Amino acid sequence: MDIQQILVYASLAVAVGFLVKKFFWKKRTKKSKPCGDDCACH
Amino acid sequence: MSKNPIKVALIGNPNVGKTSVFNELTGLNQQVGNYPGITVEKKQGVCKLNETIKAKIIDLPGTYSLNASSIDENVVIELLLNKNDEDFPDVAVVVTEVENLKRNLLLFTQIKDLEIPTILVINMADRMKLKGIELDIPVLEKELKTKIALISSRKKIGIDYLKDLILNYNALSTEPCLNASSIDPEYFNNLRRAFPNQLLYKLWLVITQDVNFLNLDRNEIKSSFTKSHSDLKKLQQKETIKRYQFINDTLKLGQKIDVSKATDIRAKIDRILTHKIFGYVIFFGILMLIFQFLFDWSSIPMDFIDETFANLSSLAKQHLPVGEFTNLISEGLIPGIGGIVIFIPQIAFLFLFISVLEESGYMSRVVFLMDKIMRKFGLSGKSIVPLISGTACAIPAIMSARNIENWKERLITILVTPFTTCSARLPVYAILISLIIPEKRVLGFLSLQGLTLMALYLLGFGMAVFSAFLLNKYLKLSCKSYFVVEMPSYKIPMFKNVGINVLEKTKAFVTGAGKIILALSVILWYLGSHGLSDDFNNAEKIITQQNQNKTITTEEFEDQVNSFKLENSYIGYMGKAIEPAIRPLGYDWKIGVAVVSSFAAREVFVGTLATIYSVGSHSEEETTIKNRMAAEVHPETGNKIFNFATGISLLLFYAFAMQCISTLAIVKKETNSWKWPIIQLVFMSGFAYITSLIAYQFLK
Repeated sequence: MDIQQILVYASLAVAVGFLVKKFFWKKRTKKSKPCGDDCACH
Repeated sequence: MSKNPIKVALIGNPNVGKTSVFNELTGLNQQVGNYPGITVEKKQGVCKLNETIKAKIIDLPGTYSLNASSIDENVVIELLLNKNDEDFPDVAVVVTEVENLKRNLLLFTQIKDLEIPTILVINMADRMKLKGIELDIPVLEKELKTKIALISSRKKIGIDYLKDLILNYNALSTEPCLNASSIDPEYFNNLRRAFPNQLLYKLWLVITQDVNFLNLDRNEIKSSFTKSHSDLKKLQQKETIKRYQFINDTLKLGQKIDVSKATDIRAKIDRILTHKIFGYVIFFGILMLIFQFLFDWSSIPMDFIDETFANLSSLAKQHLPVGEFTNLISEGLIPGIGGIVIFIPQIAFLFLFISVLEESGYMSRVVFLMDKIMRKFGLSGKSIVPLISGTACAIPAIMSARNIENWKERLITILVTPFTTCSARLPVYAILISLIIPEKRVLGFLSLQGLTLMALYLLGFGMAVFSAFLLNKYLKLSCKSYFVVEMPSYKIPMFKNVGINVLEKTKAFVTGAGKIILALSVILWYLGSHGLSDDFNNAEKIITQQNQNKTITTEEFEDQVNSFKLENSYIGYMGKAIEPAIRPLGYDWKIGVAVVSSFAAREVFVGTLATIYSVGSHSEEETTIKNRMAAEVHPETGNKIFNFATGISLLLFYAFAMQCISTLAIVKKETNSWKWPIIQLVFMSGFAYITSLIAYQFLK
């Protein structure tokens, strides 16, 4: 594996990692309830 | 004096020029983020008060009172009641405007009851002479137990005095300006006895408001002191009446209005702009102008950006060492970044127009006008702003639904906004229309292709309204529904405010959706340029064998190799895997790949087809890809792939399908749940599939 391939896989890992973190690993800093069960979406 | 910045909360009713005051105090030293855990925008900035002392200014969402009805308003209450919050203010600056002082002072009196040092800012002082208003500031200061800064953020008058007041906030009185507990002395005395260490008005807000408190046991207070809902409402009404009585008495002493000078041009203009016929005609006329300018003005910078990125891509390929990473840069990253940057002009122009309409005071009239129509379909007048913004991009449009107080109306608006034709659909529509709709004229001057495009825009808007009607009928959310809209004075928009707003919104688009699109373009590039099979790895050899007895140019050979590789890449396999599901719609695997890849963003559809059909040069992309698409035939039947039936099927699919992962992400963020984006995805894509299927089967 040459340096260019390593960089490609590194970029791919960053891209996948970013999307996973963004959509599935979101840290909640404050208790929040899902909206939609009642009228109060706080 | 401490070198820690003084924490200042900027509070006020909507449309009092609070943002202008914030901009004057902070300049460009602003940061825009979100409050933790919720999606309300948090704006803060730094103001230099003197050589050594700075103030941290927090621009809180506009609110009419401390009786919250939207998440924006909750933010204000939660901050003012929580001393442990890192942003809890040292001083509150309540911004009011000279023409609506009576209504604006309600919030001021409530904040004074929280015993926070409070400065009263009376903005738009430059209009006093015009409106025949005179203020006796010393009297008002005495009655309201505060210091007053009479300013004009537009003319930059009084800002330095306001800074001085902030600097000396320790000298401000924290005494409430009226005794609100006299509305029910017995009840409040009991409350005071039970919680002697707590502020009375704070306890009252805990009982009456549904907000989160970190340092009070809400249940303990509510279990002992809660009254019936109607009794609480009656007390709240008594409280409001008492406050207004106090405000009236105060203004009688400190304000004089010469009615003969108060010209009523505003009412005359209002009568025209909110007229039941002319109001709509003027609004649609303005909309037409905006879209004309939007597309005309955007096309020049967009073409420039497109060409620049195409050149950058070629340069990268020519000058960087040959290899996979170079390919990723030239074929994945640069086009990926280009795919975000190219939309900046449209986003910026759209927000420029929206900001101008908002700043001028016209948008409030539009909201009032549209409320009558929208309400019949379960939407609010305020829904018109997201629906209009959705023509550029659904992401900022969905975010702009935050100011709809009623959760059901806000949710419906969020769910239906993606039906509005966004700018990303335009490239898809343009190429498909040019393929299947003849270049004919209707009535001698109307282009049939242009009419088809307009029909698609109307179809999207119609579907949004129809879906809202269905959702309103079937969503079992019984919410209180009322509509209050501020009718601010007409003003010439301030360049600084418009500029900062455009800058913020554009930045949010690039850094928010942009990062997702960029990450996806890297993944899509990888999936499209890698494969596991021997066919993929031996593409050159196989194509050479296939062309043994033919003479083809090097360019044609490369095109064929690229096309073959794509067919055998991961994404090619994905396309073929979904082919059975999309064949009834008239699509082959190549269209399937484009449909799958355009899930990242709709405009990717054209780019993916360009790659699949092995088009090289971008300068002639549209013509070339159009010819290639027109010539594409089904290998088994020999029929043209892009015939009328397939074209209509694709147009309907893109008109209705939820082909945008970023929109789903923002819906998740705004609703704080995966439930709604999943429902949205299933409903929109399911509906798109069924209509495309019917259209294709009927037309083929």
